[in-house]
Amino acid sequence: MSAMRVDAKVVMLGKESVGKTSLVERYVHHRFLVGPYQNTIGAAFVAKPIQVGEKVITLGIWDTAGSERYEAMSRIYYRGARAAIVCYDLTDSSSFQRARFWVKELQNCEEHCKIYLCGTKNDLIEGDRSLRQIDYHDAQDFAEEIGAQHFETSSKTGNNVDELFQKVAEDYNNTAFQYMTAEETGIDLGQKKDSYFYSCCHNN
Amino acid sequence: MDGQALRPTASWENGTLAPVDRLRAERADSPTPGLVEGTEPGAGQKSAMFVHAQSFEDLTAEAEEEARRDDELDKSGECAEELKVLVGEKTIEEQRNNSISSESRSKEEDVSSEAWRSHRKHVFVLSEAGKPIYTRYGTEEALSSTMGVMMALVSFVEAEKNIIRSIHADGCKVVFLTKSPLVLVGVSRTCQSDKELLRELQYIYYQIVSLLTLTQLNHIFQHKQNYDLRRLLAGSEYLTDNLLHRLDRDPGLLLSAVTCLPLASSARDVVSSSLQAAKAKNLVFSILLAGDRLVTLVRKKDQFLHHIDLHLVFNLVGSSSSFREGEGWTPICLPKFNTAGFFHAHISYLEPASELCLILVSTDREDFFNMSDCKQRFLERLSKRSAYQALKEALKCPTYSVAQVGIPELRHFLYKSKSSGLYTSPEFPEVYHSDEEQERLMGLYQDLHSCLHHPTRPLRSFYRCSETENLLAWVTSGFELYLCFSPLGTKALAVSAVNKLLKWIRKEEDRLFILSPLTY
Ligand SMILES: Nc1nc2c(ncn2[C@@H]2O[C@H](COP(=O)(O)OP(=O)(O)OP(=O)(O)O)[C@@H](O)[C@H]2O)c(=O)[nH]1
Ligand SMILES: [Mg+2]
Repeated sequence: MSAMRVDAKVVMLGKESVGKTSLVERYVHHRFLVGPYQNTIGAAFVAKPIQVGEKVITLGIWDTAGSERYEAMSRIYYRGARAAIVCYDLTDSSSFQRARFWVKELQNCEEHCKIYLCGTKNDLIEGDRSLRQIDYHDAQDFAEEIGAQHFETSSKTGNNVDELFQKVAEDYNNTAFQYMTAEETGIDLGQKKDSYFYSCCHNN
Repeated sequence: MDGQALRPTASWENGTLAPVDRLRAERADSPTPGLVEGTEPGAGQKSAMFVHAQSFEDLTAEAEEEARRDDELDKSGECAEELKVLVGEKTIEEQRNNSISSESRSKEEDVSSEAWRSHRKHVFVLSEAGKPIYTRYGTEEALSSTMGVMMALVSFVEAEKNIIRSIHADGCKVVFLTKSPLVLVGVSRTCQSDKELLRELQYIYYQIVSLLTLTQLNHIFQHKQNYDLRRLLAGSEYLTDNLLHRLDRDPGLLLSAVTCLPLASSARDVVSSSLQAAKAKNLVFSILLAGDRLVTLVRKKDQFLHHIDLHLVFNLVGSSSSFREGEGWTPICLPKFNTAGFFHAHISYLEPASELCLILVSTDREDFFNMSDCKQRFLERLSKRSAYQALKEALKCPTYSVAQVGIPELRHFLYKSKSSGLYTSPEFPEVYHSDEEQERLMGLYQDLHSCLHHPTRPLRSFYRCSETENLLAWVTSGFELYLCFSPLGTKALAVSAVNKLLKWIRKEEDRLFILSPLTY
């Protein structure tokens, strides 16, 4: 695996411990790690190819840390992103406030980035409905208001996780198909001259 | 300073250990020179990899200077009195911040319980306004009034133009380190000296700075004196917890040195030169780790890494499984290099389940893909020159047995080459297999270390017998050596063992040390 191509930059945003890393783990490695929670330090990057129709699209996923400590750094992670998965924990209303913050931030700074609002830890609610702190319809209304897709997922059971990323890739494919011209999409990470960030700014 | 408490019932001797001179004479024609710095076994051939520091002294010098300026506070009885009065008054009110949930911390513990009180070593960090920032055991909320008392104590004494260094009472030692805008307090039941405790508090201070930078810390507290720093440190407590654990167990932190993965020098040289070739404009340090052992370190010419900074990196990588998920990219301040700014570290394992972790430190926060590219180039070169296989083989035996040295009574040792800042040590033998026994041995080494580095009466060498083991410590301008013998050994035997051991290390040095560090 020398040169890795990335077609679309996807960023995971949301309060700490809402389950961003678990979502990526489930999607990329098909697993759910139990054991003490390990918060992400800075951010982690992983490239994942995904089949969309006839094509293979590689998502470059940035799993950011939710801690406020890294907030000043967050721009470098979402800049040039084609999609942002903004996560909140269905059992924690304060995490929804934080999701609103990220949505605002994206709307201000990254207008071409499509937003996917994702309520996590669905399995906890299935087990005990009284744990739900964010009403499905409230979140749905908010999503419509901001023109975002809305999902509720569980990384523990895998519920709706593939669907979420599949949707991200399909949406990217459709818009890429619409907007891209002769320029072949994708950035060759093995390439030296053409820096990734340069290309991103170009695309936008 | 209290010297007495340090020395339990064991019989020990100090002063000049006769053989020093004899050894020196022998060394002239022995294959183990090394009384001169830079020629000892393990000394690098060209330049050192690390900032040249008089190690331990360098670390504590600052704190001592502060203390020397002021009269020593020797009124511990009075202080304890003061403490009681303050407890009654509860001068500083607790102010909770609801957004911080400490439920997630597994160290929930009733702070009024006997168990909480009986921990060997407590560490507290607070702001100058007395706000709790960190506690090793229990939660900060539950302790805010205790921390308030500590702060009141610090400011009360400061107002009198004194600085509290330590309070001794009831078999307990309380040590204060004021590092504006933070105050660190250690409460210990161990027999470590004040100086050792201060050194540990310094590490904790640097750990916090490495997450935030000192500039940011100052800025925050200038802005808002009673800011709750836990907001920004949320989720990093386990880094500090782990660092404290390492301070009890890791000889590297004690010796201000780093240990290497034993590896044939030919293989290590290939690894180093492959890393050297995978350079980039803003790349400052390339570090390859195997667990807690250094495989190699390549640095930009004229840029040196301090061993404290390297230990902070080790702690970060070793404490978190987060870097196993993909390629990590995180800001990190290396406080001994510069407390003002962040570097950006690309952190990734060479393979998902591998022990080998590569850390590429850049000055540019937009450098992620450049660093990722450096890693690819490094890997390609490594496998092309088939060094990767040799490296993987070496990983299978990351330690060695003390039996290899061929001194039957020798159980364990620590050897540090001063000029390279590297140390070597065999695995723990059977008798020290339990965690408690290992920590006990580390405690003994710490004692010896305190004696060799005593601020006013430092010793060159030190022999000490007890029922469980005999210990010998020896420091020269070139190395520091700590040996642990079975209790049946004699002093004469210990002394002759030193020579034999030095010869062995000399013979093995190109496997145990990094003799030719590279730069780019
Ligand atoms: N039951 C359940 N628990 C989950 C789920 N997703 C995550 N968790 C748990 O929530 C905790 C936090 O998960 P992470 O994925 O590490 O959270 P994060 O958003 O990456 O957190 P930061 O890296 O600190 O920003 C962990 O203990 C997970 O096991 C889920 O779908 N169901
Ligand atoms: Mg995470």
